[in-house]
Amino acid sequence: MDDFTLGVLTNIGLFSFLALSAYLLLLAGEMSFGQQAFFGVGAYAGGVLTALYSVPLPLAALAAMLLGALAALLVGLPTLRLKGLYFAMATLAAAEIARLLFELLRFQRSIDGELAGPDGTQGFRGIRWVFEHGVEAADFLLLIYGLLAFVLTVLLAVERSRLGATLRSIGEDPELAASLGVDVDRFKLGVAACAGALAALGGVLFAHHNTYIEPRNFDIMLGVHSLAYALIGGLGTALGPLLGVALDIGLLEGSRLFGGTRMIVFGGLVAVLLIVRPRGLLDEQLVHRFTSRTLRRR
Amino acid sequence: MRALALLLALLPAMPVLAQNARAELACRFTGTDFVYDCVIRLTRAGQPLSGAQVIVGADMPSMPMAHNIAPVKATPGRRPGDYEARLDLEMTGEWAIKLRLSGPLRDQLVLHYEFDEQGARPAKRRERR
Repeated sequence: MDDFTLGVLTNIGLFSFLALSAYLLLLAGEMSFGQQAFFGVGAYAGGVLTALYSVPLPLAALAAMLLGALAALLVGLPTLRLKGLYFAMATLAAAEIARLLFELLRFQRSIDGELAGPDGTQGFRGIRWVFEHGVEAADFLLLIYGLLAFVLTVLLAVERSRLGATLRSIGEDPELAASLGVDVDRFKLGVAACAGALAALGGVLFAHHNTYIEPRNFDIMLGVHSLAYALIGGLGTALGPLLGVALDIGLLEGSRLFGGTRMIVFGGLVAVLLIVRPRGLLDEQLVHRFTSRTLRRR
Repeated sequence: MRALALLLALLPAMPVLAQNARAELACRFTGTDFVYDCVIRLTRAGQPLSGAQVIVGADMPSMPMAHNIAPVKATPGRRPGDYEARLDLEMTGEWAIKLRLSGPLRDQLVLHYEFDEQGARPAKRRERR
């Protein structure tokens, strides 16, 4: 596989974690513009653990996911009381606060005679765990897609379970769900924590793929894209956000068809899709039609 | 299954210790929009690093996964440790140049340069206190 294809596939995989994180909250009826903050938390936490303390990547990823979930809980506690646009704006503000905190974060140690660690706006260089441990780019790609497949399997199983039905009922009508005995607030907090952990996992992998991170990597554009991918792909199944990422990164970016005007095409695509298919390409109706047809054939 | 095996294998993996490489970039605007001829100077422990395979990519720092250029393979330059590559960027401004090294050592270096009609110079960052 050539470097370009490898790069495009890696980016699709990394973005998918973020898109799935936004998708989870969309299922619960909440539109977050702030998932990039948890992606950043994961990237910085994972990077610090492997580069400064030589923690193995799998353990660093677990710790970063835990931190991402905690950060999401911290943001979710005050913001999930808000509804609709107010919640969206609050998450955006929280993500910008996180980005500014990353700009203030200076935590460096001397490793092999060189200073390493987060250095404010100068970024965080030398997250070399993957290179130091001889992990090839193709193997890292396999790791990304292996983890993505695991996450997808869990999400698809959850969607078919009672838990998934409860989640969708909260997203559709929280008052009705509450009247049926569902603790909506606690449920949404749990979803926010899972979404935070998922974004953080993507962040750890991104940091180790890139070897360098900086606060600007986690700005609003990343959050807007992750939300757009979930909305384009559709809210009917966890495969939807992946379709959204594949369309933008794989087709538009990968084909280089539109060159520098790609963002205009992407913006237009989002606008058209939101008019024609407000719940995305793989929306609930399409998924329901497909699954009932499959069941009938059996 | 292979991904799981890889994940487990990564737990006790020992680092391959090697002195890090350093890189500098000098780019000349070709006259064609956003196309630059660049010379990369690689050193390791103060000595020119020859014989490396260098793949050069570029990302925009604000959207590193969504705005990048197709990686190009650098060719050995005139001096030891020099490598040449032509970069076809999408626009002027700051780019994070990614150098993926293989051969004598495996590493990835990320350099931040500001590109304009004059060429490229190291990007300056505003400190926040």
